[in-house]
Amino acid sequence: MRDKLDIEATSRTPAVVFDFANNHLKIAGESYPEDVTEFYRPVFDALDAYLGKLDKGSCRFDFELIYLNSSSAKAVMMLMDKLEAAAKKGAAVDVHWFYDKEDDTMQELGEEFGEDLETATFHLEKMPG
Amino acid sequence: MLAGQLMDLRSMLHSQGVIFAYSGYVTEPVLSGVGEALKQKLTIDDADTKTLRSVFAIFVEQMQNIIRYSAEKAHQPMPPASDAGALNEIRYGILTIGREGNDYMVCAGNLVRQSDVPRLKERLSRIRNMSKEELKALYKEQLRADPEQGSKGAGLGFMEIARRATQPIDFDFADVDGEYSFFALKATI
Repeated sequence: MRDKLDIEATSRTPAVVFDFANNHLKIAGESYPEDVTEFYRPVFDALDAYLGKLDKGSCRFDFELIYLNSSSAKAVMMLMDKLEAAAKKGAAVDVHWFYDKEDDTMQELGEEFGEDLETATFHLEKMPG
Repeated sequence: MLAGQLMDLRSMLHSQGVIFAYSGYVTEPVLSGVGEALKQKLTIDDADTKTLRSVFAIFVEQMQNIIRYSAEKAHQPMPPASDAGALNEIRYGILTIGREGNDYMVCAGNLVRQSDVPRLKERLSRIRNMSKEELKALYKEQLRADPEQGSKGAGLGFMEIARRATQPIDFDFADVDGEYSFFALKATI
């Protein structure tokens, strides 16, 4: 397994920085890709490979999304499901959802995703600045 | 004559408060380009962050609805083999963004099949009459559900529009002929 997945942000896709060596994963920016499936496929694949080997280890996942369209919301839910499944298998998973304090829609969306995490620990936080 | 005709078209849009208008075949790069210009205009207007994000989010959902579902389309009869996977189908629609006092309005229209009208009317009426709390619950339910047959997205677009809008969504249908109807959807922010 590679020790890093690094996808640069574009105007329509978020930056994805999965630092597997340090168990710190992050997705940040705006998400309204032309083709959601095509963009998220390598992200899901890398996450599956990593979580499959995490076992009882710990990891942190930061969501720093400014805006996501409705089809990306489905992709984010699938990321959350994968994290929750890993936590259920014994990993210590910390999920941080950062939202812009001026946009309560993203705060609400974070709350909704958080409600579905039973075993993974969820943190809802304002973006700094 | 030429200037007069175009000026009349512009005046008509202007009188309705329209600041952006696009009528034609819509592609993802069109969405990107118009979207960038829209963000710039909202920044110049000094719109607050929430308004800017909501207008933009609704614009994206409305544009993608045209790109995915408009029943009026043009396509290459036989795409070259070297172009496999290239977009060979483009869909037609109209989208306007306007101002009315302090509000922004994002309107979109496109042809739909008559056979789809009852289902669309039912879904939109249901969403239109929901409170923000009910919308939130339905959104969550839909997020977990498998997409409806014929859906190319997550089936969340109309709900996203209704959640981001500050007033109930408005929609209408006009008969075109036996096969098609013109569908219009307006969101106010």
